[in-house]
Amino acid sequence: MSGAHQHIGRPVPPRHHDRLVRGHGRFLADLRAAGVLYATLVRSPLAHARIVGFDASAARSDPRCALVLGPDDLAERTAPIPTAWRLPGQPEDRIPIAAHTARYAGQPLGIVVADTPTAAEDLAEAVRLDLDPLPPAATLADALAEHAPPIVPGAAGNEAGSIRLGSPEEDVAAAFARAELVVEREFTLPRVNPSPLEPRGVLAEYDPGTGLLTVHAGSQSPHSMRQDLCAVLGMRADRVRVIAPDIGGSFGSKVVLYPDEAMVCAAAVALGAAVRWVESRAENFDGAYQGRGQRTTARLAVGHEGRFLAFDAHILADLGAYATQAGSGPHQVTALTLQGPYHVDAAAATVTGVYTTRVPTGAYRGYGMQEAAFIRERLIEEAARELDVPALELRLRNLIRPEELPHTTHTGLTYDSGDYGAALRRAATLAERPPPSDPPWVRRGTAVVAAVEITAFAPSALLETFGIAWSGWEGVRLRINHDGTVTAYSGVIAVGQGIETSLAQIAAEGLGVPLDWVRVELGDTDTAPHSDLSAQASRALTLAGGALLIAARRLADRMRTLAAGFLGTDPDRVTQRIGSRADPSSPDAAFHGTDGARITWREVAHRGYRGWGNRKDTDRIRLEEAVDFDPPQITFAHGAHAAEVTVDVGTGRVTVTGYWAVHDSGVLVNPLIAHGQIAGGIAQGLGQALSEEARADAEGVPVTRSFREYAVPAAQDVPEDLVIEHTCTPSTAIPGGFKGLGEGGTLLPPAAVTCAVAAAVPEIAHTLTSLPLTPSRVRAALRAAGITAEGGLR
Amino acid sequence: MTAVAFDYTAPTTVDEALRTLHSPGLTVTPLAGGQSLLPLLTRREVRPDLVVDLNGIPGLAGIEVSPHRVRIGAMTRLRDLEQHAELATALPVLASAAASVAHPHIRGRSTLGGSLCHAAPAAELPAVAVALGADVVLRSVRGARSVPAARFATGAGATVRAPDEVLTEVVFPRADGLAYEFSELGTRGSTGYPVVGVCLGLHVADGLVRAARVVVAGCGPVPVRLPGVEAELADRPVAGPHRGLVASVAAEVARGPGPEDQEYRTEAAGVLLLRALTARAAREGR
Repeated sequence: MSGAHQHIGRPVPPRHHDRLVRGHGRFLADLRAAGVLYATLVRSPLAHARIVGFDASAARSDPRCALVLGPDDLAERTAPIPTAWRLPGQPEDRIPIAAHTARYAGQPLGIVVADTPTAAEDLAEAVRLDLDPLPPAATLADALAEHAPPIVPGAAGNEAGSIRLGSPEEDVAAAFARAELVVEREFTLPRVNPSPLEPRGVLAEYDPGTGLLTVHAGSQSPHSMRQDLCAVLGMRADRVRVIAPDIGGSFGSKVVLYPDEAMVCAAAVALGAAVRWVESRAENFDGAYQGRGQRTTARLAVGHEGRFLAFDAHILADLGAYATQAGSGPHQVTALTLQGPYHVDAAAATVTGVYTTRVPTGAYRGYGMQEAAFIRERLIEEAARELDVPALELRLRNLIRPEELPHTTHTGLTYDSGDYGAALRRAATLAERPPPSDPPWVRRGTAVVAAVEITAFAPSALLETFGIAWSGWEGVRLRINHDGTVTAYSGVIAVGQGIETSLAQIAAEGLGVPLDWVRVELGDTDTAPHSDLSAQASRALTLAGGALLIAARRLADRMRTLAAGFLGTDPDRVTQRIGSRADPSSPDAAFHGTDGARITWREVAHRGYRGWGNRKDTDRIRLEEAVDFDPPQITFAHGAHAAEVTVDVGTGRVTVTGYWAVHDSGVLVNPLIAHGQIAGGIAQGLGQALSEEARADAEGVPVTRSFREYAVPAAQDVPEDLVIEHTCTPSTAIPGGFKGLGEGGTLLPPAAVTCAVAAAVPEIAHTLTSLPLTPSRVRAALRAAGITAEGGLR
Repeated sequence: MTAVAFDYTAPTTVDEALRTLHSPGLTVTPLAGGQSLLPLLTRREVRPDLVVDLNGIPGLAGIEVSPHRVRIGAMTRLRDLEQHAELATALPVLASAAASVAHPHIRGRSTLGGSLCHAAPAAELPAVAVALGADVVLRSVRGARSVPAARFATGAGATVRAPDEVLTEVVFPRADGLAYEFSELGTRGSTGYPVVGVCLGLHVADGLVRAARVVVAGCGPVPVRLPGVEAELADRPVAGPHRGLVASVAAEVARGPGPEDQEYRTEAAGVLLLRALTARAAREGR
């Protein structure tokens, strides 16, 4: 390998930026299709109702109308979507496309296709729904009330099932019996909207001649979407092709096939035409699966000298109207990761899924780990307050030390490597600064918190053990083309995070070639290797990157062997020398023998494709390596975040005035992209800490339906003092030592900000168990604590 | 979503616009800066038959400062209010209130007339217009009339403007002897949506409040003047103590209808007022 081509670790500008900034992005709404028709969904205005009538006669008689499919038509044309991750006892394991009862406001009930987007909207309004209202259950409390009618017909109640993860009950009980202090709180983590910049969308085209359905979709996981579409439409795997074009963010909200997306595909099949649907922002608020949604009672047992003895939690998970493909998955991850980076004698949590008449919940960046961090770090901060010891000291006393790794938690997670104390101490040091002079109504506080992050999710055998019907391995195909250029194919997806650049860096380094020789092709199920989980769960770089590194090294060896054959010498007497700006055919991109003979990289590739050289019958010809990498274990990234906040006691406004994050994601492939990922994750986390909450009225009808009522953080809400540092403990499980970082940034901001508010105003610390910390909510807590609005003014 | 299909016209004179707006039986909507109207259109919350674009009419924009009043054309952009040198001297509160609206991209398009006609309950400029005692000039083919700003908005998003009328200008008196300032609390920093705003006018002599004008926005459907609080402030030292002032604001505002979180908003309005007084006292003291 040539030392000139060390690409891993270089802050290369992400490749897609230039293209997107010049307006050359191709997002779903930009795609051209001949004779395309436009779809609008007919959605339920009520949270819970029997559909007595779906009268589309007026719409159908309009000359602009191409097709209307109502519940009966959909029942004939579609099968339900299968689920992958279920709770024991879950009464439903499929999600219907055709609904005869609406279970949430915004649920798609039918689809209208017309010749223009405006006509489709008009005709959707012309469909007359006859709805027989049923009682809604908008909250966990409503759904669990004694006489709440069941949302799943025939079920005994609204519990969807329950699972207990972690230590045996007697270990938990014994640990709490030994406790000198028990801190118990009830936490509420509201539903939030993932809010990608680009909402969802589908362009489905069916060719009756070939029987091929080609679906362009803003999908984070095209192979999963294809499999689910095959099940829904009853089509063969080789007749459905899913292609992900440019995607304007996803954050977990585009990982599974939705019923509305399936309806667009069913309409395309019915029409033998191309049908496009682009989700509006209001629809995204109503109909895209939401994140979080949890009410949890949790307790921490503390023993002698502040030693943590046990964590225990009972999690009520708001699944919404249907348990989706991953169902209670995020909440189960909360249970799995509650222990975090600390030693305890026992840790366990029960997850109870609950149906409500609201849009289903699902994956959202952080996937249960943010909730776990919030619950755990708040309990610890409260314990420190009650014990009157510095919280940092209490944390350091209980952290798992680097020499104790690998360490297996009570939920069976084996932490491979890391130095949790180093990150925590560094974040605390960064956050130390003299307080400025504030007006009398301002209180200021700082806190530092810690978490570990599941990345490279997950070994396929682990998924099998958990009964999750997905694979965890990731495949890549790396090809040296006949002209010497290099193409990498992977099943992971670019969603704006920059993965195509990082993967190119890995391939180029493995081959010892310039970065611009490598092109990365993603997103097309016809060319991308199979991938169930694709770009989610902080796994794309670790797993596709690990596989790519193996493939590149193999291919580099094959090129050297071929070159040696053409040069009439042994491979170990051949040197690959490629100039940093060389192209594949230039003389300074060549293999050199010891006798002065040389052959260019391109010539080796070209001859290799002809099958020339002293080839044995068993040798492979095509210059392509396919590698499937199933990780031996999960690899754990970790981090510590410190936040400094001011609390305006008069208005209740919390302002984050400084933020310091120390992350460890092992070997960083591209520090620039890593910085962007962590910074973006922090911004999202600040939104959940301070402003984001997807609300509905008492009838279960959404009231946050635009960015007017739903405040995502803007640039101004992210402090200028945002410092991100990285430490590096390489993964012991992943080739290259990589760990993931897609979610790491978002895990800790709610915990850090809330603990900082508690430090600023200890009088209300015990009440800080619910998010977001909106001004009115904080002011109410201050008022209840007797802190007047005048804030020291006369 | 897309808007309903509508006709569009872009007149080049006020008279032409007025004739177009006078279309009995049709729903006609004037388009000013479009920063509120366009989202309402695409969400189909507004369904016009005809949109009359006022942007191509010369003479509807402009700021004219004279000794006793300031006349501002309805199509004057908020960015121009913010950056106008003479206005900054004559009525600095208009510049500072305009600068509190959203962010520069939006202020570059949104207009004074549009802001008043949209009549958002917590909006900045309607509150300032009420506090300053401005007159709103409306024209139609039927003639012209002038309406005090305090009687212009009748509810959230509702005004006395008839469907065929155009708001052509707003006239602000400048000689009531009070110095005004505007402060607000937004959903985020200074670029969010407004939650609560307070416009405070004071005449201070020898450290005592001689006259006060207090208008709060965001606590009810329209901006409201608080004569009770104004009377309470009279003859008090501007530096306080203002014991009970926050409670007085809340009590006076709460007499009217309000949003769900009115308790929070009225208290916040009181806090903004108290801080404005404190800041004024600090400046007086220098």
